[in-house]
Amino acid sequence: MDKRTTPIAKIFLIAVFLILYVPIFFLIYYSFNSGGTMSHFKGFTLDWYRQLFGDTRMFIIVLNTLVIALLSSLSATVIGVFGALAIYSYKRRAKNTLLSFNNVLIVSPDVIIGASFLILFTMAGIQLGFMSVLLSHIAFSIPIVVLLVLPKLNEMRPSLIDAARDLGASNWHVLSKVVLPFISPGILAGFFMALTYSLDDFAVTFFVTGNGFTTLSVEIYSLARRGISLHINALSAVLFLFTIVLVIVYYFISRRSSMKTMGVRK
Amino acid sequence: MQSKLSRRIYLIPYAIWIALFVVTPIILVVYYSFYDLDGNFSLENYRQFFTAVYLKMTLSSFWYAFLITAISLLVAYPTAYFLVRTKHSQLWLLLIIVPSWVNLLLKAYAFIGIFGKYGAANHFLEAIGIGTKQILFTDFSFIFVSVYIFIPFMILPIFNALSELNPSLLDAANDLGASRWTTFRRVIFPLTIDGVKTGCQIVFIPALSLFMLTRLIAGNRVITLGTAIEQHFLVTQDWGMGSTIAVFLIIIMFLIMALTGNRKRGV
Amino acid sequence: MENAVIIQFNHVTKQYQNDPAVLKDVSFEIERGKFYTLLGPSGCGKTTILRLIAGFTEATTGDIFIDGKKVNTIPANRRQVNTVFQDYALFPHLNVFENVAFGLRIKKMKQAQIEAKVKEALSFVNLKGYENREISGMSGGQRQRVAIARAIVNEPEVILLDEPLSALDLKLRTQMQYELRELQKRLGITFIFVTHDQEEALAMSDEIFVLNEGKIQQSGTPIDIYDEPINRFVADFIGESNIVPGIMIEDFLVEFVGKRFDCVDQGMNTNEPVEVVIRPEDLEITTREQGKLQVTVHSLLFRGVHYELSCTDEDGNEWLVHSTKKAAIGDEIGLYFDPESIHVMRLGESEEDFDRRLEAYTEEDHHAK
Repeated sequence: MDKRTTPIAKIFLIAVFLILYVPIFFLIYYSFNSGGTMSHFKGFTLDWYRQLFGDTRMFIIVLNTLVIALLSSLSATVIGVFGALAIYSYKRRAKNTLLSFNNVLIVSPDVIIGASFLILFTMAGIQLGFMSVLLSHIAFSIPIVVLLVLPKLNEMRPSLIDAARDLGASNWHVLSKVVLPFISPGILAGFFMALTYSLDDFAVTFFVTGNGFTTLSVEIYSLARRGISLHINALSAVLFLFTIVLVIVYYFISRRSSMKTMGVRK
Repeated sequence: MQSKLSRRIYLIPYAIWIALFVVTPIILVVYYSFYDLDGNFSLENYRQFFTAVYLKMTLSSFWYAFLITAISLLVAYPTAYFLVRTKHSQLWLLLIIVPSWVNLLLKAYAFIGIFGKYGAANHFLEAIGIGTKQILFTDFSFIFVSVYIFIPFMILPIFNALSELNPSLLDAANDLGASRWTTFRRVIFPLTIDGVKTGCQIVFIPALSLFMLTRLIAGNRVITLGTAIEQHFLVTQDWGMGSTIAVFLIIIMFLIMALTGNRKRGV
Repeated sequence: MENAVIIQFNHVTKQYQNDPAVLKDVSFEIERGKFYTLLGPSGCGKTTILRLIAGFTEATTGDIFIDGKKVNTIPANRRQVNTVFQDYALFPHLNVFENVAFGLRIKKMKQAQIEAKVKEALSFVNLKGYENREISGMSGGQRQRVAIARAIVNEPEVILLDEPLSALDLKLRTQMQYELRELQKRLGITFIFVTHDQEEALAMSDEIFVLNEGKIQQSGTPIDIYDEPINRFVADFIGESNIVPGIMIEDFLVEFVGKRFDCVDQGMNTNEPVEVVIRPEDLEITTREQGKLQVTVHSLLFRGVHYELSCTDEDGNEWLVHSTKKAAIGDEIGLYFDPESIHVMRLGESEEDFDRRLEAYTEEDHHAK
């Protein structure tokens, strides 16, 4: 393929990048505005950050969000890896059926997931709050983990398992010494993806949460409905930084674990 | 055989998940759609869905979703196409994806500031002599912000399809006398159609069911199927009607999945 | 004394669900310390035999014995055989040392002992000093050696090699053929080698099993199989052959292309229809008058060590000739061959009958002396 980029292509790409990033930096920029609006930059201040970090209610909400994200992505990773192993071990028809079930929650709009889970929890008598939010997040993260682990399993040549058994490995050894290490990049990707899905989720949480339990997204929604408050800008700057850190952490962990497996795909 | 036993063990937690969180919720939604506000079994909800009010809403929801998908595709395809050709394409792709990890609510919030009456957009319009306009709470702002949010999801599958394209196919097309446009139309596009389909599926279904943006950006001027469901479940507490709309959304979802179902071609 | 037979197949059949059987009632014995080759085209069942020995699949019917013990239901991880895979199947997440140590670690061997054994195994395959290399940084030939080291370090009685050289280029392949053969001699254990490359099989083996369509067509030393192919398939698959229909007039006299020729074959019925094989290198170019057969040259290829001529006789049979002499296209030439060069094959003769017939007349030879 010819690798030259024409000027038009360059301008187009720059425009797309600008549109994608300007709103984010716009938010961060005004988080330093002492004016209190997002229209006139009066002067530099860190007041909004001070206010944000002094806000214990916000602190609890951030904690809630992180706890839910970590617990749900960990549980979803475990169940998802089991699911991927199960799907992998089945042949065509059973495999396709399982995959279809797996994809239902992936293509379902958030509203449907939220509404149907709301019915489910109400019927099951589960109090709306921490538990219902946690269960929902686990539920919608599982299929993502499966989808990220499965390609790794498929990439693994069957002869690798034969080789391990040939060298005396029991079922447990095959799983722990060969299969899990081999698919670990997929597991890691699945875990991080589940983490971001959980951190980002608004709609499902909005439906299944009850009084007294709020996550960041839901909190921002209710703040934003009330109008502009540079408090949120400061929060967005912190979250953006957090996202970048998460990406970098993921990048380094995955590079370390994939260095060994890269290059043997052929 | 041992492996059969172990795969049963693997399956247990996963099967429980499927039963509890995939199958049961759908059954419950269907079940609820047959109950009216007073808890009686009836077909009233379905009758009501086929009245002009709801049909119009469904139609407009479709129209908006279609516009959002089409515009996203128009922007995403060239972006992906140019991206694949850049030097560090994987890095650029990562930069395209990063905004999608920024909390959705924050992005919507940013546009409240940008499109607001005294926001940056109006400053700009003022500067070029058009003058201040009402931007927030219009169809335009709704579609613009939706496209903004969905674009990375449209770019990703198209980018993947394009980068999987065997470069020697392009050489072959060239060799056989195809012009650049013909190569694109007859070789590149057909071979990346699966990526386009996936992208459209990823964008269209959520676009049908957006409800947060309709409230924050469109100021309730746009009512999508998603807004209606949210309204019925969380505001009017009419779960029956909400479920009925959800049933239709689920049916539409399966139709779209069947329509855009990918069949792998060997290359 | 140890039993000479290490592996035995007793009427083994293998069938996957409703597909036709991939192995049809196969029986054979494999002796200790020899280099065996299973040779045949793809889909002939050779890899299935290997997988049955290794324990990756189970036989549908019949019994498999390793070292006198029936192993039909013993899983792969408890069999004293190790495999070198076609794609090497090295664990990409482990380095060279850990790949080779894999089997020893599972046996819970002491670290010091593992280190000593891995070192020894690696030096056996000329990979001393490669312990800490990553698999991804190694060439095909080096990976091949790691795979072999990983198998031999467990000191199995049998090593199974599933087309291990097929991914290597020609030069490396030839070199590895020598190395493998030498390794087998040094270790003194049984090698069972699967290939579809007849030259490889002829060069390396003590014994060759030629397989086709799920059956063993012929087994024997490379020389036996090359010189006395049992049927058209073997003659065609191993080396190049001219095969023409003929009639066995009586012992030592066969007719083909309308002429009668002396030969050394016997033990068949009079006037039995047969097939006659003459190897291209056994045909000599002479003048029309001196030749036993008269043919016209219609194509000529230079093959390096010899010319390959394609000729036709008056019956329209094609004759391939390998000769250092050259002839021009269109020339009418004669072909000369010795009676010993003629090999007569009965139609549909089983291996047992073939062996019995051959034995019968070698005994006669002994009596005659």
